[in-house]
Amino acid sequence: MNANTPRDEQDAQLLSRTARDLPSGRHQFHKERLMAQIHEQVQQSRRDERTAAPAVPAAPAKARRLRLPRPAITLPAMAFGLSAVIVAGVVTLGGGDGVRESGVATGPALTTDIGTATTKGVPQLLDQISLAAAEGDHPTVRAGQYIYIESVLADTHVRTVDDRSSLVGQELHKRQMWESADGVEGWLIDPAVNDSSEGETLTLPDEQGNTPKAHLGSPSYDYLAKLTTDPDALLAKIYKETEGQGNTPDQQAFSTIGDLLSESYPPPELYSALFETAAKIPGVVVVDDAVDAAGRHGVAVARLDETSGQREEWIFDKKTHVYLGARNVQVKPLKEEGILIKPGTVNFTMAIKNRAVVDGMKETPSAPAPSQAG
Amino acid sequence: MRTRVRAGDQGAFGELFDAYARAVYNHAYRLTADWSTAEDVMASTFMEAWRLRDKVDPEGGSLRPWLLGIATNTARNQFRSNRRYRRAASAAAAAETAVPDHADEVAGRIDDRRRIATALTALAALRRPEREVITLCLGEGLDYEAAAEALGIPVGTVASRLSRARKKLRRTAAGNAAEKVRVNREGPRPVRQTRGDHAKAIRPAQEGNR
Repeated sequence: MNANTPRDEQDAQLLSRTARDLPSGRHQFHKERLMAQIHEQVQQSRRDERTAAPAVPAAPAKARRLRLPRPAITLPAMAFGLSAVIVAGVVTLGGGDGVRESGVATGPALTTDIGTATTKGVPQLLDQISLAAAEGDHPTVRAGQYIYIESVLADTHVRTVDDRSSLVGQELHKRQMWESADGVEGWLIDPAVNDSSEGETLTLPDEQGNTPKAHLGSPSYDYLAKLTTDPDALLAKIYKETEGQGNTPDQQAFSTIGDLLSESYPPPELYSALFETAAKIPGVVVVDDAVDAAGRHGVAVARLDETSGQREEWIFDKKTHVYLGARNVQVKPLKEEGILIKPGTVNFTMAIKNRAVVDGMKETPSAPAPSQAG
Repeated sequence: MRTRVRAGDQGAFGELFDAYARAVYNHAYRLTADWSTAEDVMASTFMEAWRLRDKVDPEGGSLRPWLLGIATNTARNQFRSNRRYRRAASAAAAAETAVPDHADEVAGRIDDRRRIATALTALAALRRPEREVITLCLGEGLDYEAAAEALGIPVGTVASRLSRARKKLRRTAAGNAAEKVRVNREGPRPVRQTRGDHAKAIRPAQEGNR
């Protein structure tokens, strides 16, 4: 059925030649585990049939949300995920095709007024922001301490149910993240991601014993502390290490810096340098008015991704020039899968509510950790 | 095989696992951009297959499309937002290429890493439904009917998504190449201009892009 032109062959090779085997021993490990779980379920359902034959109603499929652990999840977390599958297997037999919804309610797509963009005053604004950043209160993080970042966020995405796609917006929700200075230990509470209200571990290494190394796209505090604060050197490093990523090198450089500003807590020298670096990227504009996820109005430093028609905006307080949050706004219409993403659609929005250094995981600046203080 | 699977024959699931674990694992990787997540998705896929065993059509060929479809749904859970996928893909691409070349690492292995980085970067430029179709059809070699069965969508939809995705991949590839050639990042970008641009507010930004 597939017409195989040479170009198709090329496309196919692009993907199929990336295939790998499972790490050694993992095939057998998972097979044994699968067989054990199936066996256990068979036993369980036999017991159930004996004890409560008529009393199993068609349990609501919605009540049971199956979620997989996120990347970099440890073995216990994975075991939890799998045991959840077992339980659900008993409860929701025949309960759908495996498509599940997130733990956050959705509604209509998020929208906003598109602010007016200009290249005028970009260097001046970034200068002021950089100065404000250097003055900010950025305590150093000692070994054994954790960076705590609390934000609120929401996104708009295309949801496909039974081949009918629609654009839906997530309800604004709180997200809390803890990360050790070396980036190895972490905890995340985000209802859009987690199975349980307790959250889930981000602690590394993963179950294969790999400790991923911090890099620009996934930096730890220690990594950021060692990064150069010379804007030219930093920019060169960003272009070099993100080569081939994103839609264009300039947009990717801008996004990379944007990510370093959002859910991370860079040391003051670097924080300040990041803005001087951004000022050197072609195509950066100032947007006169932008609202963060918490409803705070500010001025934005932004860049339009011309491929996607989306503008990434970093939002700052108009007076103090403190970083408030970020969002991604559709400024040119984009039609995908028959769904029109209109200008003014907010694809993603986020506001930083609190950044702090705390002594324990799951500890917030106002409340000590539930169990493991210190 | 289908009959045995429907009947809940445990041995049949062992055979399914042996035959398709690798395919499911690699498919899951293309959809999650993370090898360890792919392993989780693979494991969950087979448990989910067990759970859904009585939905298997008694008539039909290989169960591979069915398993890949379940894997697609399972992986979809990992990255509900495309933004998150893009981040993972670029992190993975960076990780694949940033690993220092060990002296004993054969050239083939390095090429393999580069290919993976290229593939992920290309996939990240797609929207999720397109990515799902293209990984099934090109990555796992399913034909339109099998991909339609796997995703539970009409064959025509598979065909149209696939052609759109291919166009995009080529555009991305061409765009990347053009970007590298154009040293001073100036000049028109005819390929990327969106027609019917009604967002007047953003005009100055475009014109002002150096």
